Amino acid sequence: MAAETVIQATGLRKTFRTRVALDGLDLAVEQGRLYGLVGPNGAGKTTLIRTLCGLLRPDEGEARLLGWRMPSVRVRSQLGYMPQDFAVYDDLTVLQNLEFFGGLYDLSRRQIHERAGELLDLVDLADRRGEKTGELSGGMRRRVSLAVSLLHKPRLAFLDEPTAGVDPKLRRTFWDYFHRLSDQGVTLVVTTHQVEEALRCHVVGFLSQGRLLIQDSPEMILRGTGTETLDDAFIVLQERGEAAR
Amino acid sequence: MKSLVVMRNVLWRIVQDRRTLLLIVLLPLFFVLLYGNSFSGSFRNLPIVIVNQDNGLASVRVKNADRMTLAVDLAATFVSSLDTEMFDITFSDDPDTAADAVAAHKVWAALYFPQNFSHAVVNEALQQSGERTVEMDGQSVTLLPGTVTEGPSTVLTVDDANPLIADAILESFAVSFADVLGTQQASLTPESLLDVNPLYGGNIRMLDFTAPGIIGFALTLITVMLTAMAVVRERTSGTLTRILIAPVRAWEVTIGYTLAFSAVALFQAAELFLTSTLLFDIRFIGSAAIVAVIIIVFTIGLQGIATLISTVSRNEAQAMQLVLFLLIPAIMISGVFWPLETMPAAIRPLAYISPLTYANAALRKVMLTGQGWADIAIELIVLAAIAATMLVLSVVMMRRQAYSA
Repeated sequence: MAAETVIQATGLRKTFRTRVALDGLDLAVEQGRLYGLVGPNGAGKTTLIRTLCGLLRPDEGEARLLGWRMPSVRVRSQLGYMPQDFAVYDDLTVLQNLEFFGGLYDLSRRQIHERAGELLDLVDLADRRGEKTGELSGGMRRRVSLAVSLLHKPRLAFLDEPTAGVDPKLRRTFWDYFHRLSDQGVTLVVTTHQVEEALRCHVVGFLSQGRLLIQDSPEMILRGTGTETLDDAFIVLQERGEAAR
Repeated sequence: MKSLVVMRNVLWRIVQDRRTLLLIVLLPLFFVLLYGNSFSGSFRNLPIVIVNQDNGLASVRVKNADRMTLAVDLAATFVSSLDTEMFDITFSDDPDTAADAVAAHKVWAALYFPQNFSHAVVNEALQQSGERTVEMDGQSVTLLPGTVTEGPSTVLTVDDANPLIADAILESFAVSFADVLGTQQASLTPESLLDVNPLYGGNIRMLDFTAPGIIGFALTLITVMLTAMAVVRERTSGTLTRILIAPVRAWEVTIGYTLAFSAVALFQAAELFLTSTLLFDIRFIGSAAIVAVIIIVFTIGLQGIATLISTVSRNEAQAMQLVLFLLIPAIMISGVFWPLETMPAAIRPLAYISPLTYANAALRKVMLTGQGWADIAIELIVLAAIAATMLVLSVVMMRRQAYSA
């Protein structure tokens, strides 16, 4: 049986004044996939994620998540979103942040505390749960943000640079966890500008100037471009794209 | 010189930020124009009612003759000398109806001239100044002091809920009475002719009069500032996006904010009222429940305004500037210090779009004169309409803030 397509975007176009952020982009992601969205700064990764989540309205085209045309209230309870900025309350403790956002997803206090225990272990902040978030380092706050995004067990999660500023050991733990979630059927879209990190994904989409240059498995991309690293593959694809324009 | 480098950087960034630049240029100009216009005006079109039953005749004793009746028409002289720009005069036949109109706050003053007004004034004047010779039909006639017949007195009922207006009316009447008394060459004062009947016994001090407005202004400042800052911070930190991507409706977020800040406003209002009554013995004779309702409805509207401010502000500094830009004029034009009646027609429409105008009027009615629901209905309806409109706009803007975050 073919896997369900949980993200379906067709002809997405978004401009900010004269700058084209998304240039007629098509995207399809199947359930349970770990999708790596890579591209340089300003390639349109965050705009794409925000448009898919319904936070930005595209000028043209449409985005569907779990079958619903976005923006739609219906998918929100099944959607996880970790923005690039920390987006947590600095004046609340780590646990209070989880309690507040858990409340918005109608989680009971018991459910929140169970999930909080699990996620704080994952992000290695179990012993900091009582500390004010604003007093934590940037990397730690990003980890709190990740915990908040996954608290309600979303079916589909968009994680914007979840590993930025995170040390290599913890980064590996995160990727292992993302794979565990994917095995459980959760679809994850993870952006990163560290192209090599995307080797851990099932599917990689290379985004440049608002267009997807390619989306395929890392192995197929390497084979197709005849390169040894994704970094090199990206450069080759970017040059081909520019030549084609 | 490093300071110059820093200075140039600061100024350059201000020049780059068009909104800040616009505020820097326009704010002082705006304040001066508003201040000059709202405080320089004189009272205009104050409604008063006059009951003139004076028959205009004065019966006086005359030397070497019988009594003589003079047609002096002093009440009419008084009325014609009134400042027609200051007063909007209507006439009535019934002194009780006129006094009731003052009590119902429909007019600022009611002046009742009894039938014997002219007679009483002329004889009072003669008694005070002694015999007086006047030219009449080419003959000299000497008028003699006689007994002043007792009769109904001339009564001025004045609404002193606004001590500024009450004083201005008394002052203007004194000038007109001086004109009338001048015709009789008498040194009588208006006080000796008039029974002044202040509605609230002259017990409302300037402090009492301004207190409701100042309390309203304090609430405005705190509520708008707190709400605008909180929403801007929520947006710029990204938490608003996170909230709005959760299964939460924009109206639920707005109502949550409204409930929180209404609770804060009520607490602050209680604090303001308690301290001002305990420390300064501010007049508060009305219902605290009505005041609480006014405060809630008023501050809901303010929160909506704050949400709109936060929508158009990129950061907290811009929000703060906009808050000041809107609030400082509000206290000048909302009748807190200076009654709306003195405001030039060009400025007055601004007063009528400021919620503080209605809150101030309603709070004054309840606190100073103990008026009830029916008397503040109009103010409360307007405040409720502002609150409802602002709530709806806030919901729309709340959603939009997430899109633009």
